[in-house]
Amino acid sequence: MTITRRNILKIGGAAAALPLLGSRAFAQSEPLKVGFMLIGTVNDNGWNFGHATGAKFMKDALGDAVAEPTIVENVPEGPDCERVLRELAQSGHKLIFATSFGYGDYVIKVAQQFPDVKFEHATGYQRSDNVATYNARFHEGRAVCGTLAGHLSKTGKAGYIGSFPIPEVVMGINAFVLAARKVNPEFTITPVYISTWNDPAKEADAARAMIDQGIDVIAQHTDGPAALQVAEERGIVGGFGQGADMSAFAPKAQLTSIIDNWGPHYVEAAEAVIAGTWTSGDRWPGLKEGEVVIGPYNESIPADVVAAAEAVKNGQIDGSFNIFTGPINDHTGAEKVPAGVTLTDAELLSMDWYVEGVNPPA
Amino acid sequence: MQFRLEKRPEPSKLMLYVTPVASVLLTMLVGAIIFSLIGYDGVGAVREIFLTPLTNSFKWQDLGVKAAPLIIIGVGLSIAYRANVWNIGAEGQYVMGGLAATGVALATYGMTGWWILPLMMIAGIAGGAAYAAVPALLKTRLGVNEILTSLMLTYASVQLIYYLVRAPWKDPMGMGFPQTRRFAADALLPNIIPGTIVHLGVPIAIVVALIAWFVMSRSVFGYQMKVVGAAPHAARYGGFSENKTIWLALLVSGALAGLAGMLEVAGPFQRMVPGFPTNYGFTAIIVAFLGRLNPLGVILAGIVMAITFVGGEVAQTTIGLSSSATGVFQSMMLFFLLAGDILVRYRLKRVIPAQEARA
Amino acid sequence: MNLDLLIAIFITVVGASTPILIAATGELVVEKSGVLNLGVEGMMLVGAITAFLVVFLTGQHYLAIVLAAGAGIATSMIFGFLTLSLSANQTATGLALTIFGTGFSALAGQGYSARPVTLLGPLFPAELATHPVLRILFGYSALVYFALIMVVAVWWFLKKTRAGLILRAVGENDLSAHSIGYSVIGVRYAAVAFGGAMAGIAGACFPLLLTPQWAERMTAGRGWIAVALVVFASWRPFRLLAGAYLFGLVMTMELYAKAGGGPLSAIPSELWAALPYLATVVVLVLISIRRDASTNAPACLGRPFLPSN
Repeated sequence: MTITRRNILKIGGAAAALPLLGSRAFAQSEPLKVGFMLIGTVNDNGWNFGHATGAKFMKDALGDAVAEPTIVENVPEGPDCERVLRELAQSGHKLIFATSFGYGDYVIKVAQQFPDVKFEHATGYQRSDNVATYNARFHEGRAVCGTLAGHLSKTGKAGYIGSFPIPEVVMGINAFVLAARKVNPEFTITPVYISTWNDPAKEADAARAMIDQGIDVIAQHTDGPAALQVAEERGIVGGFGQGADMSAFAPKAQLTSIIDNWGPHYVEAAEAVIAGTWTSGDRWPGLKEGEVVIGPYNESIPADVVAAAEAVKNGQIDGSFNIFTGPINDHTGAEKVPAGVTLTDAELLSMDWYVEGVNPPA
Repeated sequence: MQFRLEKRPEPSKLMLYVTPVASVLLTMLVGAIIFSLIGYDGVGAVREIFLTPLTNSFKWQDLGVKAAPLIIIGVGLSIAYRANVWNIGAEGQYVMGGLAATGVALATYGMTGWWILPLMMIAGIAGGAAYAAVPALLKTRLGVNEILTSLMLTYASVQLIYYLVRAPWKDPMGMGFPQTRRFAADALLPNIIPGTIVHLGVPIAIVVALIAWFVMSRSVFGYQMKVVGAAPHAARYGGFSENKTIWLALLVSGALAGLAGMLEVAGPFQRMVPGFPTNYGFTAIIVAFLGRLNPLGVILAGIVMAITFVGGEVAQTTIGLSSSATGVFQSMMLFFLLAGDILVRYRLKRVIPAQEARA
Repeated sequence: MNLDLLIAIFITVVGASTPILIAATGELVVEKSGVLNLGVEGMMLVGAITAFLVVFLTGQHYLAIVLAAGAGIATSMIFGFLTLSLSANQTATGLALTIFGTGFSALAGQGYSARPVTLLGPLFPAELATHPVLRILFGYSALVYFALIMVVAVWWFLKKTRAGLILRAVGENDLSAHSIGYSVIGVRYAAVAFGGAMAGIAGACFPLLLTPQWAERMTAGRGWIAVALVVFASWRPFRLLAGAYLFGLVMTMELYAKAGGGPLSAIPSELWAALPYLATVVVLVLISIRRDASTNAPACLGRPFLPSN
């Protein structure tokens, strides 16, 4: 830090930087400044909305111990995010959450320059002394949704709208269809990747294309309610809210929702920084810790189906059930995971194969 | 009171320099008023967007790094526009330059040597120039409007990135994410000031602009470009080939955009990612106009534009101004600038009502 | 492939094509008058947020369309004033207009994206609109028929009316039109305003026709496809119609192919996405070789009108 500072002052050649760098950042009485860097806007009803809600939860829970959280929106994954990270670090933020995968390289880079600032990178895998990673076990929620789909679908076919075939998305698809096939062994799912996180009109058209070809349950791993709205419009069996409760958009079609609940994690991290006990590591909590929450079930769903879904949910909470425990076959039917064996976290995080029941995209 | 526009015999040198400054100042003033009226902290917004990046020396390195590609592309475009060749596909040429450089970086992965970086630079320049050669060929051979072709090719090039990073060039260790592997050390642009992010591209931008200024104002080439742009018919009598000018204009602007693409991918990005097209090619069009199509002016304009980008982020972190506000400020600045343009070529004259009645 | 599926695909294609068609019809008139407005994407976004807000606040879909058109006109007048009254560079002004529209719509829409609205319903009674076969003709909302009517209207206007002739003359040779006594600037203002209105309505299609919500940048580049389409259609209204449905087909076939499997699904989605632009370049080349571009591309396209008084 000293070296960096000296060098920057050398080029800066001005004393202007001095007051900005001053010691005030460490004054005990001052509330902790927490920064959030988002890939999109807080108004997306999905991923970014979830993080902003978490930020608000943190402020409400910790009161005066933290300053009003700083949220920087629409930060592209590239050099621009490096600048924003430094801006946040320089302006006294001691805990910074970078909430998109593509920020990884830059978080590591900036973290080296600011060893007294703690960084947390969502969905990433690169860590250092002051960079932790965190994510949520969304696939546990997908297993609950898949159970509902297995019971409720009449055609036994589901569609899944994804952005890119990254492990997190593949994991969700696999968890969904594994759960559905425990109910209906003939169940299949077709993923459609639309190569964008936010083009609602294209998402809606993808949903139409799938419904027209016989699917009656739809799930999506993109940031908005567009697909769910089409499900409502077409009156199919239904779909699932992603990231947040989307029942306002599809009161009939939303069977339930997987809610990202980052708030408790943000509270915990901020408390740890204030107490000086923060350490780096990888945190990947799920239903059990309350970081993934299953929203209310649609009241049209029969009680026994809700009970089945709840059983899957509770099994994952108490540890008696894991969706990725073998036997699991891949999409060609060949055994991939022997009976009784459970995939490790590392295997999940690099998942690039589909289970039986997935019509794999070309 | 009525005004009439009267054409100046000579473009006003004074207005040429006054209007860009005036439009920046006017943007600050009007922006502060409008944003205050709609319930934001207007004065704070202007302060954070336009002043903080200048007064905080920590931000200077950001300005340099952000301005460098804008300046390099803007210089190329200003040369083309002087020649009346409307290359608006610099974004695509920037992308192709970046992709060509990435191709070299990936092909030489595992090798070492000083030659890798220059080779990437040549590839970048060639990639950009080659992509600009398509509109040049179509324009000179078939008379196809270069505005349309260069724009269409831009959108196609972006899809090429998506394809390459998703399939053939995907990082084998990247957990399936659509991006290439990080370049090896010898394929990365060196930092020129330790402890900062200022990379070799920043001085290159300045050098490119100075060379361009010298060439445009002192050489036959520069004279030819300007004559063909200003008076194509006269140029033809003077023995200057219009087609040759079109080729030169597009190749030079494409090559510089490609160079900028190479510098960005080997410098700040360090790998090819889907987010590589950051609109530098389009923003540089604004920079070229803001700089009055003069390479030295483009340096200043690039810095002004960088200030609004960097300042926009400052305003987000300090006063919570949303990112969309930056876009509104930028477009407002450009509107004022374009409006002021007319004062360079015309002067306002008061019209006496009697005369108007007669007309 | 059964009939039901073909009808369903057709209906989705029509939906996807409609905003592009409406915006391109407006831009065609603008370009025929000799003006190149590259701010279509920006004007569409302003139209989209206006339509969304009106529906959200009043529930009136038709009012939303009208006001979206008005917002489009207002936005286009920034462009008109700069390029026509002050003869500023059209390319740069158009790009600035897109930056403006993107930023302005995002500012105006802050806090509204978690709010659902409703789609504009079909124009015809339910017996026709939901009939398994007849819905291919009667199953759409008014915006779809509006797009078709406007294509015919613009064709008729340009081809059969005196005003259309003047507009084309202004786009072909502004100096002669001026010397005969026509107001070049006046005609171009009218054309730009029409283009703005159409872009505004095209934007309104997003919350009213495609996906009933507001999302920042929800037009996702379709304004640029509209610009491409005008060129692709070599400035002819009926080719524009065919081209719009072709582009819509390209955009949606990718999704149907992926959802249904089969050989087409092996084509990379990036190629599908690039196709409209590449096809436009090819068409530009073809019409240039056949030389009918010279008779149909407005000769003054993109050039400011500067009478030497």
